[in-house]
Amino acid sequence: MKLYPIPAALGLVAATTGVLIILHGMLPIDHVTLVFLVPVMFCAAQWGLLPALTATVAAVAAADFFFYPPIYSFSIDDPRNIIDLMLFSCVAVVTSELAVRLRRAAEAASRREGEIRDLYELSRRLAACTSPADIYAAIRDHLASSLGSRATLIADAGKLADAPDDPLKLPAEVGAGAREIFARNSLEPRLIVDPRSGHAWLVRSVSAEALDFGVIAVDLGAGADGVEAIKQRIDPVLAEAAATLARLDVARLIDEARQRTETDLLRKALLGSVSHELRTPLASIVGASTILADAPEIRRDPRLHAVLQVLQEEAERLNDDIQNLLDATRITNENVQPHAEWAELADIVNAAIERRRARLAGRRIDLDLRADLPLVKVEPRLIEQALGHVIENAAKYSPPGSSIVVRAVADAQRVVVSVQDQGIGLTAEEKDQVWERSFRGSRHPNVAGSGLGLWIARAFVVANGGTVEAVSAGPRCGTTISVALPVVADAVEQSGESCNA
Amino acid sequence: MPKPSPTVLVIDDEPQIRRFLRAGFELDGFLVLEAGNAGEGLKAATLRSPDLILLDLGLPDMDGGEVLERLRAWSDVPVIVLSVRTDEDQKVRVLENGADDYVVKPFGMAELLARARAAMRRHVRRSVGEPVVRSGPLAIDLVTRHVSLNGNRISLTRKEYRLLQVLGQHAGNVVTHQQLLKEIWGAGHVHFTQYLRILVRKLRHKIEADPAKPCIVVTELGVGYRLAQPEPAAESASAGRAVEAACA
Repeated sequence: MKLYPIPAALGLVAATTGVLIILHGMLPIDHVTLVFLVPVMFCAAQWGLLPALTATVAAVAAADFFFYPPIYSFSIDDPRNIIDLMLFSCVAVVTSELAVRLRRAAEAASRREGEIRDLYELSRRLAACTSPADIYAAIRDHLASSLGSRATLIADAGKLADAPDDPLKLPAEVGAGAREIFARNSLEPRLIVDPRSGHAWLVRSVSAEALDFGVIAVDLGAGADGVEAIKQRIDPVLAEAAATLARLDVARLIDEARQRTETDLLRKALLGSVSHELRTPLASIVGASTILADAPEIRRDPRLHAVLQVLQEEAERLNDDIQNLLDATRITNENVQPHAEWAELADIVNAAIERRRARLAGRRIDLDLRADLPLVKVEPRLIEQALGHVIENAAKYSPPGSSIVVRAVADAQRVVVSVQDQGIGLTAEEKDQVWERSFRGSRHPNVAGSGLGLWIARAFVVANGGTVEAVSAGPRCGTTISVALPVVADAVEQSGESCNA
Repeated sequence: MPKPSPTVLVIDDEPQIRRFLRAGFELDGFLVLEAGNAGEGLKAATLRSPDLILLDLGLPDMDGGEVLERLRAWSDVPVIVLSVRTDEDQKVRVLENGADDYVVKPFGMAELLARARAAMRRHVRRSVGEPVVRSGPLAIDLVTRHVSLNGNRISLTRKEYRLLQVLGQHAGNVVTHQQLLKEIWGAGHVHFTQYLRILVRKLRHKIEADPAKPCIVVTELGVGYRLAQPEPAAESASAGRAVEAACA
């Protein structure tokens, strides 16, 4: 490219000289040098300063040789002609310089315009992007079309799993460089030359502020020249893309947060209104029925008393169903966060038995609690609820008059409460299924219940850091259900000394 | 020489609940006043000075805690809170704000009457200065600081006595863990529930027939303890007094 303009400049000057010689033959021209400004300016505008200077020297020589007396000689008789040539040289150099500058400015303007148009295209495309994958495709296309560079995205594992696979083969060195950027958590761009192809690769984080949006590798092509310029042009492209990624990310986070809040509010509203709307009429029914139960007229008549008992028992059952419904909703929403406190296990077991005494219907509870059980750190209500379900279940599936043994033992790690009945037992499959939601033993279709009890029990125990287990020697051999709770060491030590006052 | 009937003010926004409470309390010899919201309730409490207030926590116009706070600013009338089972924390809060006790909806009338009588007795005891509190076989003399079981004096540590004393002052009504910890160990120890658990365990071994099935110092799960006050009358067939029934 650089070699051609100089012969061209010389050719132009020669052509101008030829034209001038012909014109001069017909009509003598005084200021031939003025005409020579035309090729000089043309060279300056078209090819730059060096061809223009070449043209100037050639023009001076030609003017001297062909037009200034003595003609066909490089000597000059008239000193005015010397001044003329010197003036020409000065004017030619100055105007060439100006023309070159103008040309550069025009070139820069048009290049910038092109870049801005490209960037504008990119932002328009980015604005329509709805996923990171779209954005990476847009970056790749943009770099390919506007820079002639190939780009590939090296996403952080997991973070951008939906980034599309790139067909571009990444040299091993570039991949290693990208991994190093992740490993060092560095935002510094790196230039890596692939030894096989000789291509230079720019490897940098997509966002200039964080590695969150992954790392991009751009193939800058062979040869080191122009690398700086390309690097500078890549910057705004990536800045734009990072801003779009951030916008998408923020939008996603806001969206998630809103959804969470809505679900939460809905759940609370539901729990609150179910609790209030169903319990309030129930409270009136239970309260009113207890007043009737104390009335002498009803107490005297066993038939009326029996009717009232039906009312009370069914109201009690309805209340339990409402509680189970609320508990199930709470568990399904993974919202069981126990307010743990130090508690006496015996208190919890007693409360669980007492609250269900009416439903034990003649089954005897044998309580065997070791006196030196450690304190447990749990939310007492949840464990009481869980044990209640286990005890109720034992009563439901064992014959009236049989006994249910509630036993608690402890070792260094855990306290285990076991509820042993003499009931129908469990088959091998049932043993695995009893903890599932809505499981009902198919061998006994006429036992009432929702199948929620043991499922709730397990969820509450697990939420408090415990485990549950069902053991049975087989059908009709009884069942033992154990609830194990962790022993937290510092309770005993701390309290042992503090009470010796 | 009939005693004047005690007056109870029912503050609850549910008319059906007020209706059965009116019936239940009138049958028990109370005069019943009703209020459907907190504003009316506070007004009635000021103008009619009832002997007992039943306060629902779910009032439409004011938080139950605030009603209690306004009430306690000028009156120490016994207050029983009616709550639903889901708000354990709220229950503890109102008890600490000065409520005497609570019942959980749905509740039996006998249970509510027992709590109410206990709260009113405490009120009377404070003004009359009745020295001995009884709970089954246990008698606590708050003046001489003697505690006896079936008439035999038993020896207690200072903290064990303090525990019985506080529970005895509120006999029949619940006392929260925090209140007990503050009274026995001081304000800096209100979160050391395990101290209280161990102290109660030791006390139960001294006073309960079967420490594993306590009948004197009974537990309110997640809330506190109460000194049981078995009703002398024969209504124990009613629901809501399972603990006392099991101990009889």
